[in-house]
Amino acid sequence: MHYTSFFRYFLAVLFCYYALSIVVAEPRKPDPDGCLTCHSLPGLQWIDEQGMWRVATINQDHYYSSLHGSVPCRDCHRKITDYPHKVENGYVDCSESCHVEEPSEGEAFTHKPMMEEYDESAHGQGWYKDFAGGNRLKELDESRSPSCRFCHDNAAYIAADKAELFKESFAHSDMECGKCHVGEVWMTQMGGHILRRFIGNRMNKNDSNAICLDCHNDPEFLKDIELEDPDSGEKHQPDNRWLNAGESYQRMLHSRLLVVGVEDGASCIDCHAPNGLHHKILRDEDEASTTHPDNLPETCSASGCHGYSKIPENHDFTMTDMHDVDLLSMSLLTSKELQEHLDSIWSKLSILILPIIIIMTIGSVIWAFTGKNRGLIMAILGGEHFQVYMAGKKPSAKKGAKSGKETKRAPRQRTSTTSRPTNNKPPADATSENPPKNPEPDPSTGSKQHAENSSESSEPQENPTDTQGSDNA
Amino acid sequence: MRVIDNLKAIPAMQKYRYFLIALSSIAFLGPLAFLPQLVGNDDLCGVLCMRRFYLYFPGMSWDDLFMHITVAWIGVIAFCLILLTTFFFGRIWCGYLCPVGGLAELGSRMLNDRWKIEFRSLPQVQIRYSYLAAYIVLMPALGISACTLCNFITIPRLIEALSGEYRGIVYILSTVGLVNLGLLFLLGFFASKGRAYCQFLCPIGAADGLVNKLGSKFRWARRIRVEKERCTGCNICARNCMCGAIKMVNRVPVVEQTSCMSCHECVDVCAWNAIEWTTGPRDKQPRKIKRGVEIFPEPSWQLLSEPDMLENNVVPARIHWGRLVNGLIFSSVIGYIAYYSLLM
Repeated sequence: MHYTSFFRYFLAVLFCYYALSIVVAEPRKPDPDGCLTCHSLPGLQWIDEQGMWRVATINQDHYYSSLHGSVPCRDCHRKITDYPHKVENGYVDCSESCHVEEPSEGEAFTHKPMMEEYDESAHGQGWYKDFAGGNRLKELDESRSPSCRFCHDNAAYIAADKAELFKESFAHSDMECGKCHVGEVWMTQMGGHILRRFIGNRMNKNDSNAICLDCHNDPEFLKDIELEDPDSGEKHQPDNRWLNAGESYQRMLHSRLLVVGVEDGASCIDCHAPNGLHHKILRDEDEASTTHPDNLPETCSASGCHGYSKIPENHDFTMTDMHDVDLLSMSLLTSKELQEHLDSIWSKLSILILPIIIIMTIGSVIWAFTGKNRGLIMAILGGEHFQVYMAGKKPSAKKGAKSGKETKRAPRQRTSTTSRPTNNKPPADATSENPPKNPEPDPSTGSKQHAENSSESSEPQENPTDTQGSDNA
Repeated sequence: MRVIDNLKAIPAMQKYRYFLIALSSIAFLGPLAFLPQLVGNDDLCGVLCMRRFYLYFPGMSWDDLFMHITVAWIGVIAFCLILLTTFFFGRIWCGYLCPVGGLAELGSRMLNDRWKIEFRSLPQVQIRYSYLAAYIVLMPALGISACTLCNFITIPRLIEALSGEYRGIVYILSTVGLVNLGLLFLLGFFASKGRAYCQFLCPIGAADGLVNKLGSKFRWARRIRVEKERCTGCNICARNCMCGAIKMVNRVPVVEQTSCMSCHECVDVCAWNAIEWTTGPRDKQPRKIKRGVEIFPEPSWQLLSEPDMLENNVVPARIHWGRLVNGLIFSSVIGYIAYYSLLM
């Protein structure tokens, strides 16, 4: 009996829960136009004209739980009015306004300032509109200028590894952000968007470099681009300095620091687009460019880096080539550029150095087979000088060399090797009883030394004192 | 077997030193490089750079210097450690550990002594400190990167290239790399004893030499010291000194303390124990006087300088062109720094 009453009671509670859940947590209805009727179907995919596999399926659960879960599709995909629609109509214009309103001024949020900045930049060639759709292969075929999504992948969701951090920060945002940005709209809408940008999509210097280097470290990809001269508007082929800018950048300290995780290094945009929204990258030749020689002192001294570069005496320092072709492998250069290369100071230096090295190498090889490795072996260049000025054969060596010519065929004095130096040097010195310096600066032995040296210098190998020490080669 | 005989003839201490250099080369360079990798670096650049933070730029502030130091903070610590050991024990890093100078030396010692260039008799102190002054003050202002003639890049890259790594090969094939390689051959392998780069161009070695000189003022600092009463004047120490620090003046070796690396080879080859790596004697006064003869308990391990050994302590009156040039460069450098730091 009481089992059934309990069961009824249980059912009643369950029903109440169900009713409550319908009332309280009514699912959002972000799909007033019914797009997901088709787009939530698995397998909504096709192969387009360029042969790319396109997937139009949207995972309903993922979408609803994402930040945009409550935003109707047509808020962004505005050109779609009918079913079925054309693929092109699905494209999103990044410069259009957004569904989010900036609460303080009540204006719809838009990427227009970025677009305007980007439009002026060296990259802005009008491809920015294909944000959501379009074919990447087609884009690559028709232009080398990157569109927005070339760099910004615009993942709709927060990456799993950053979700926890996002939740935590979002929960505390009323403490940190909310002190100034008061109001429900700030906290729910704008705050979430800003946090998502800060946490979900925050780029460090290495991340942003990776985006730049994706193209600029690939000379094969870049070589078809025609560069336009900002003044005359002439188009010309890129040179190797430009083509290999990524390669030469990675040789420099700016990059080397970043690679090992020291944030004091400089990323590409730290110099090329330090101001504004970091999209206005201009050619060096352009006077508005931050890397134009006139603006370099300002750029180099920005963000606490080289504070002294504003001083005019450091002009040459700011002109240090950050993309030096001399740091590139010569195999990358064309023959014409190699010719120009021979004018550089480095090439002239190597022209000076190389012959000496070649001569020395040949000499060493010959010596290895024919050389006699006994006695005093002097270096072929400067060896005599060393004997005179360092080893202390000062007064007699030069005279000896002259008299040595006369007595060139003088019989070799092969006296016993141990007795001569001890005779030569007064042994009293070693156990001297008289401390004053230079007891007798050899007036008598000096002449003896002279006589010996005159015979020695013609035959330097005969120096008897050498054989007793280990003259290790 | 000449090679084996030659190897056997190497003094024990020098064998130990070569072994240390080889060991530190493995630790610091090339495919292993496990000491730099402890701090996430695979060569001696970036945070490990010891060659850049003391560069002077006109009008530089303390903040800028601090920035230079924080960027390469591990290198700065290593540099300070090197100077500290040098102060007490002599240039141990340069002589025993430095893989960059050490490899050049080992390479040079494997070649014969005949086909070499003798740099040791050049006025090396003058050249070294003139270059150091230019390196610290002139080259930054002229926009010549300190990295271009860096020995601490060249040797690691060479080892990388030999082990087939892409980065090393690219560097060696570049113009800058070729010039650096040329310098390595010219001032390393084909220089007599292979330490010419260390003696002339290495800024770390130059700073180290100054500290070595400073420390030699103290009695308790270990330095290469000479007992001139024992010396026979055979000049074998001068001929074997790899740094060219020993000069025979009046047939007594005089050790130039800014150049000496305390490599100990002069001690090993001296048959008379007239030269030693040691502290100064404790007693400067004679302990005993017997029949008018002063008797010292210890050898008078002296740090001789060149005027000490010349007659009447008088240097012959002549113009020292090297010193003149040096003085001009230094005074202009100090004036330059003073002008841009204090007056601007």
